[in-house]
Amino acid sequence: MPDPERDLSRSVFDSLDVGLILLDAKQRVGLWNTWFAAMSGMSTDAAVGKKFEDLFPQGEFSRLKSAIGAAFDSGVSSLLTHSLHPALFPLKTRAGRPLIHDVRVSTVAYGPTTLCLIQVVDVTVAAERERILRERQNARYDAVVDSAPDVILTLDAAGTVQLANPAAQAQFGYSSAELVGRHIGILFPDQTAWNDTQSAVMNGRPVTQPLDVIARRKDGTSSHLEVSLSRWRSESRTFVTAILRDVNERRAAEEAQRQASQALAELNATLEQRVTERTAQLMQAEEALRQSAKMEAVGQLTGGIAHDFNNLLQGILGSLDRVRSRIAQGRISDVERFLDGAVQSANRAAALTHRLLAFSRRQPVDPRPVDINILIPTVEELLRRSIGEAIDMKVVAANDLWLVRCDGNQLENALLNLTINARDAMPNGGTLTITTANMTLDGRQAVQRELSAGDYVCLRVSDTGVGMPADVRARAFDPFYTTKPIGQGTGLGLSMIYGFVRQADGSVRIDSEVGKGTTIEILLPRYQGEADAAPAPEETVESPGGQHEVVLVVEDEGVVRLLIVELLNDLGYHALEAADGPSALRILQSAQRVDLLVTDIGLPGLNGRQLADAARERRPNLKTLFMTGYAENAAAKSFLASGMEIIAKPFTMDILSIKIREMIENKARH
Amino acid sequence: MTSLENVGLSELEIDALTELVNLGVSRAALNLREMISQEVVLSVPSVSLIGRLRAVEILGEAEPRELVAVHQVFEGDIIGRALLIFPERKSLELVRAVTSSDLPLEDIIDLEQEALAETGNIILNGCLATIANQLQRTLKISLPEILRGDSKALFSLPPPPDKGDVVLFVYINFSVRTRDIQGYIAMLMDMPSLVALQHLLQEYIRRATGEPVPNSDA
Repeated sequence: MPDPERDLSRSVFDSLDVGLILLDAKQRVGLWNTWFAAMSGMSTDAAVGKKFEDLFPQGEFSRLKSAIGAAFDSGVSSLLTHSLHPALFPLKTRAGRPLIHDVRVSTVAYGPTTLCLIQVVDVTVAAERERILRERQNARYDAVVDSAPDVILTLDAAGTVQLANPAAQAQFGYSSAELVGRHIGILFPDQTAWNDTQSAVMNGRPVTQPLDVIARRKDGTSSHLEVSLSRWRSESRTFVTAILRDVNERRAAEEAQRQASQALAELNATLEQRVTERTAQLMQAEEALRQSAKMEAVGQLTGGIAHDFNNLLQGILGSLDRVRSRIAQGRISDVERFLDGAVQSANRAAALTHRLLAFSRRQPVDPRPVDINILIPTVEELLRRSIGEAIDMKVVAANDLWLVRCDGNQLENALLNLTINARDAMPNGGTLTITTANMTLDGRQAVQRELSAGDYVCLRVSDTGVGMPADVRARAFDPFYTTKPIGQGTGLGLSMIYGFVRQADGSVRIDSEVGKGTTIEILLPRYQGEADAAPAPEETVESPGGQHEVVLVVEDEGVVRLLIVELLNDLGYHALEAADGPSALRILQSAQRVDLLVTDIGLPGLNGRQLADAARERRPNLKTLFMTGYAENAAAKSFLASGMEIIAKPFTMDILSIKIREMIENKARH
Repeated sequence: MTSLENVGLSELEIDALTELVNLGVSRAALNLREMISQEVVLSVPSVSLIGRLRAVEILGEAEPRELVAVHQVFEGDIIGRALLIFPERKSLELVRAVTSSDLPLEDIIDLEQEALAETGNIILNGCLATIANQLQRTLKISLPEILRGDSKALFSLPPPPDKGDVVLFVYINFSVRTRDIQGYIAMLMDMPSLVALQHLLQEYIRRATGEPVPNSDA
């Protein structure tokens, strides 16, 4: 008889989309529903009555057997999930794909007996969906995380590392497995800032600034990292993902930059020194340039002076000739007149060469208060002689001229250059006028001259020459601009004047028209102080006589030697003479008394200075008077030791005799 | 391994219960080892029987953060709930311990629910089944369910608890794959169940000491 209730139960049992297996106490299969038969491929007929463990001999069922045992023994229900037991039973979907399933084991009371119910639940759809989602997500995630050059760590709320990407291993030396599950503190042992930031992020407060942290690597070394943190949630959990960027290189670069900045700062500190050095070089170059311009002027003067010098020599020679002639004739009474004429000419010649040598001397720029009215006469002779007789020269000096402050030599140089230019502009003669004047400029006048308003001293050099066309006038101050034939001018004259005047805060202007002559106007600011004390005029005194002291005269120029020896003998000294260094030294190395050595500096064989030094080896207190034809030497007194003096040629016999007397008396005192 | 706070049971009875819990946990460790083919050590440093509110307090102090629990109901001579409780921050650790450590974080998070349920199921079943067997009683034990919340929430599941409810509170150390995780097993039962448990324990003690078992308790 069919049991309708039982048939219904069976129908439901077989219709369920769940696998159902019922085991008896001996673990034999009692029921095996249709779904499970279909999915396992084992028919109900084949399964029922068999021992459960014999049905799937290859399967790994230890956990399932324990669960079944526990169900029978203690009535406990067990869950076996696909997560821990993937593919427990070899089940396939109807499409033949693996069927993912969870298994539940529980007990069923059937009358007095206990049966074990095994339910197999299909979770394929859910698991597949999760797997696909996960794979899709992981693919994106892994691509970013695994290939990221930055360290990516995911931490849970407690700071436990949950994920560490490959860059973390490279950075810290810990493998991913070593990091995961450990507290972040193993990487950041001493990071209050880290903890604060992490908890801020955990609590949803944004961290806008990347945080600089120092990590400790597995090998104990430190690493500088910049970290940014973000919070994310998965179900009820909160995680923080930290992206850590290696900034060691940047820090090294910053350090290098810092050192570079420091080096730069040091360089700047020495800048002043280098500027000073460079300025000194420039000044030397400028000095050389100025000197060359001066020498150019001297060169141009030489022609005129040579002519003039011949005239002076003519006067001397002619006078001496007359003297000799009168003496031969016994007409001694007329001699004095000719001798005076010879001395006068010689003095003028001496003044001229002295001036020329002084002018050509190298001297540093030395701005001093200058009275231009006093300066002009000192060079007037030189100027007059350089322009020749065809040109008339006038000096119109203002009364009570103000002082200016400038380098006197440069001003003389300027005056010479302007004079030469004027001369060259008047090949057929004319008038050169040098004018000085005081000027007070108002604002408008000052602006025209690129000056500020105030008092100025004006020095004007005018000629009645050919004048300049406008284009020449416009370029007249340009360096190296010259209208003169090659070899006759460097073109530096006017530009040097311009430089000198601007340096003295003055101005220079050209007023010129073709056929109407040229006027150069130099304005220099008024100097409000006192003029330097003028050097005392040389006194002419009676030649002081000697007391038979022995003076050794060393001079290669016979006439000069003769003159000096004669003078000394006349003055009551005992003069010895030598024509060169070695013969003088022989005397000095002998026992001969010598109270004073008078020697030329430029000597053949052994120069005067060397002679004096050699002599002092035996006569350490030997007084020495050097004579020199070079103004430059005379100026450089620094090389003189004590007991040494110098006198510049040409000198008058009076000056020489005074000098000798001074030195000998000085010795006598000691 | 007893506590002065123990309510309702004598020291001897607590000792007996502690022994049963240790047996159960050993069984659970065996089952876990079987499943994951790894050495698993479960140890029980302390067992106590305390009032429900006291349990809420103790757990709340020890674990102020979010907790995760595997929950099963047992029915038989004794009725109650069994909970395997971990701090939530340790639950991913537990999942890593029972799965492959190499799984990506996303997979671990996905597996967490099921793996936790099954692992908890094994541990709780081990304990409950062993206790039931040793007390010679059958318990019907439900399938596991995952709960999250603080200690108060975990011990206040509906239907509303009675005032006299007690908790068998077991500290448990779970050690696998070099990971060390501390958790708790809590068995929450009402006063009648505690009385039944006491009788069963007394029987168990008599059996163990060879004394005759009174018929009334059979």
